[in-house]
Amino acid sequence: MFRSKKKWLTGFLSMSCIGLLSAPAYSANWLMLQGTEPTDAAPRAKVWGFIQPEYQKTDDTKLKAGAFSGQKAVFNQIRPDLNTNESFNVLRARLGVRGIGLPLDSNVNYFLLAEFGNNGITRNGGGSAKITDASVTLNHIPGARIRVGQFKHPGSEEGLQAIHVFDYINFSNVVNQMILERFFDGDGSTTAGNGTGVCAGGTANVACANKPNGPVSAFRDVGVQVFNTFKSGDWEHSYAVMYGNGNGIARGDNDDNKEVYLYWASEWVFGGKGPRREGMKLYAWSQDGKRTLTGATAAGGTGGAGEYDRERSGVGLTFRKGSQRAAFEYITADGMIFNGTDGGAVAGSANNAGTGTASFNVATTGEADGWYLHYGWAFHPKWELDVRYDILNRLTDNTNGERKFETWTLGMQYFFNKKTRLIANYEVRDAEAPNQASSAAANQILDSMDDRISLQLLAIF
Amino acid sequence: MPNRYGKILLSMLLSGFMLLGLTTAQAADKTFADTKVVLQISDPNPFKQTLVLNVASNLIKHYGQDQVVVEIVAFGPGLRLLMKENANKDRIQGLASSGVKFSACTNTMTKMGKVLGKPPELNSNAVQVTAGVVRIIDLVKDGYTLVKP
Repeated sequence: MFRSKKKWLTGFLSMSCIGLLSAPAYSANWLMLQGTEPTDAAPRAKVWGFIQPEYQKTDDTKLKAGAFSGQKAVFNQIRPDLNTNESFNVLRARLGVRGIGLPLDSNVNYFLLAEFGNNGITRNGGGSAKITDASVTLNHIPGARIRVGQFKHPGSEEGLQAIHVFDYINFSNVVNQMILERFFDGDGSTTAGNGTGVCAGGTANVACANKPNGPVSAFRDVGVQVFNTFKSGDWEHSYAVMYGNGNGIARGDNDDNKEVYLYWASEWVFGGKGPRREGMKLYAWSQDGKRTLTGATAAGGTGGAGEYDRERSGVGLTFRKGSQRAAFEYITADGMIFNGTDGGAVAGSANNAGTGTASFNVATTGEADGWYLHYGWAFHPKWELDVRYDILNRLTDNTNGERKFETWTLGMQYFFNKKTRLIANYEVRDAEAPNQASSAAANQILDSMDDRISLQLLAIF
Repeated sequence: MPNRYGKILLSMLLSGFMLLGLTTAQAADKTFADTKVVLQISDPNPFKQTLVLNVASNLIKHYGQDQVVVEIVAFGPGLRLLMKENANKDRIQGLASSGVKFSACTNTMTKMGKVLGKPPELNSNAVQVTAGVVRIIDLVKDGYTLVKP
């Protein structure tokens, strides 16, 4: 069933690519907005950025069962630090510059953006600031623009869209867990029969827990992308093919395997321009690569050494007209499935028996799928109501390991002006092990999951 | 003799027709509009491109297409507005259809050509003038109001 879904997506992409039209278009979409500058109308250097201070809170319900019973539940702690259930944080603080190095030559564009906030990009891998985007786009070949460097790879709409126009504070479960990639040395399965961080000699120690070995992917990769947009009447068709490391940002590759990204979008443009252009977009994408784990399968190691396939694909639709907005996306994942932490505990925590340390886990050969549906209503020029429902079916190929995450997100936005807004979200979060009894430890642990309140102020400059 | 007088008469008639034709051609370039505005763009800031087009559009809207003459003269870094593939080319086409004239400085084009290694391609609605600043001075002498947004 899962394989047939992927074949269907691959077929859709192939068929779509055959239909390339000829007339070039210069109106905006994510590929063009982020990868190109307006011809003969861009500055040498445009400085811009945005700041996202925020507050998040849960009830901090403790784990109700398992080896870490009574301890903090990782899903009730506030990212990225995971130390507390209530926190103020400057999630993102980005400063960038983009433009045309030589104003007379619109064929060469550049894009540079740095992150100074506290999040999965800056939290891991050392340093308090990191370059998220550093790319050069060459527009010399008709129909085939070339972008080289580090930038957002083509893929899921939630990831590809400019984050400063995102209507919510937190990503949907499927995008957060399956697309926003975390990189690990091992799969978290240390010694046989244990599965938690145990160092050589048998002592439980945080140093031996499986934790991220670098920044999250931030939906970006380092590589080269060929892309363009073509116009046909009111329709705009875009394609992108990217060849990258598949090893995240701020570093080179860790193996000889490369990632291949395919993307197609056809949009019926109603009017307007920029990131809030009105239209209805249909799109499909795929991502195919391998990951190499080095974790030793022995005490002190993080387990799972080897090469594993990692495939992601999706189809979706976005709609925006007047006060109405909507989006839907269905995503499948095969291999390298992010599989939470041992017992739902914060990674690095010692279990109650003192015999192991909670690690992050990766199901290297697992499968998953999920989707989200979003609707927004700007009922007043300064106010917008949003609601999103999302589902993640994690490890659908594993009866006992399967987990189902279901979240309703209710949102409200207040626009102080065009570039400054306040976002308030209330997430009704549920999770279960669908193939286990409600009294099973897994379901008791997931029953600890709290709802979450989030407030965020977003200022773009 | 009659032939000689005939040739002189023919020459006079031809000269008269040519003069009439020239006067008629010049009159076509003249306007009965009360308001004549020349807009200067010589700034590298792309925002100025939008601004100068907005001003031209607003002048046409306010006075009416037949009651105002608007000419945009581009030179220096501002000449990018009149490049063939400029992102505003659709707006330029629309304004040209409303009677707005576009003049491109040949001196700037020559210098840009040296930097680029080839002559820049102009928007088909643009007319080359020897020097943008000279064109502005001539238009001001002819009663145009100079505006530099």
